[in-house]
Amino acid sequence: MSKETKEVTKAKNRKPEKTEYAGERTIPGKCYIPKTDIAETENSLVVTMDVPGVKKDNVNITLENNILEVDAKIDNSPYESLNPVYTEYNVGHYTRRFTVSNTIDTAKIDANLTDGVLTLALPKAEESRPKKIEIS
Amino acid sequence: MLLPGALETLLGLQDAMDRTFNTGFFDSATTSRGVYPPVNIFENNGDLVLVAELPGVRKEDLNIEVKGDTIRLAGERTIKHGENVSYHRVERNSSKFDRTLKLPYNVQSDKVKAEYKDGLLVVALSRAEADKPKQITIQ
Repeated sequence: MSKETKEVTKAKNRKPEKTEYAGERTIPGKCYIPKTDIAETENSLVVTMDVPGVKKDNVNITLENNILEVDAKIDNSPYESLNPVYTEYNVGHYTRRFTVSNTIDTAKIDANLTDGVLTLALPKAEESRPKKIEIS
Repeated sequence: MLLPGALETLLGLQDAMDRTFNTGFFDSATTSRGVYPPVNIFENNGDLVLVAELPGVRKEDLNIEVKGDTIRLAGERTIKHGENVSYHRVERNSSKFDRTLKLPYNVQSDKVKAEYKDGLLVVALSRAEADKPKQITIQ
């Protein structure tokens, strides 16, 4: 059977696994919003994102004018030799933006990517940390 | 706001309910009951390749079993944030999962290759020798 006539079974009754990014993009291919946790501690803001299939070199993180932007690209090449027969989720790049309210010490941002989970530690700048006031 | 995160909690509850109804448990079909992890199945030179996105699951927490024409993916995903943190957003779930899929053929169990990299699980499932169609020569 030729590639063109082959049927791909798509899972029914499933909600789409990923939310597509609504903004306009300059690169081809689908783009999704990665699932994200944001936790704040006294000294830092920790952003954790699920970006399965993304390699370290293909992540682009920028923080400009209080907007944190994460752009993660996947490598499509392993899929090129494969014919899909049954699909439940779509594969695409990831992108997401956040407005960061606390003043972040941009020089000390730490990023780590392990097993498809991107962790960003954004330390708060000294002046925006909570100060305990002692009563004299 | 009076109740911070109230809307998120409600939406999370709705999401959890949707997940339960989407498991296929209430459907007549017997396959693909488990909703997590979602899988994609590809064909490569007559063999099947199963791909699942499992970000943040440790290799040792993954359990893959193959028997006859079924494959079972089980494991646990634990998400830990430190103590004394306040959350702005929680979208990722910790979950235990156990999913069994039926494949169109018997699998050569000793030839199954599983690889976990960058949060992607790739399992190559080749057809069992005994299950392969035989070419018949006319005498």
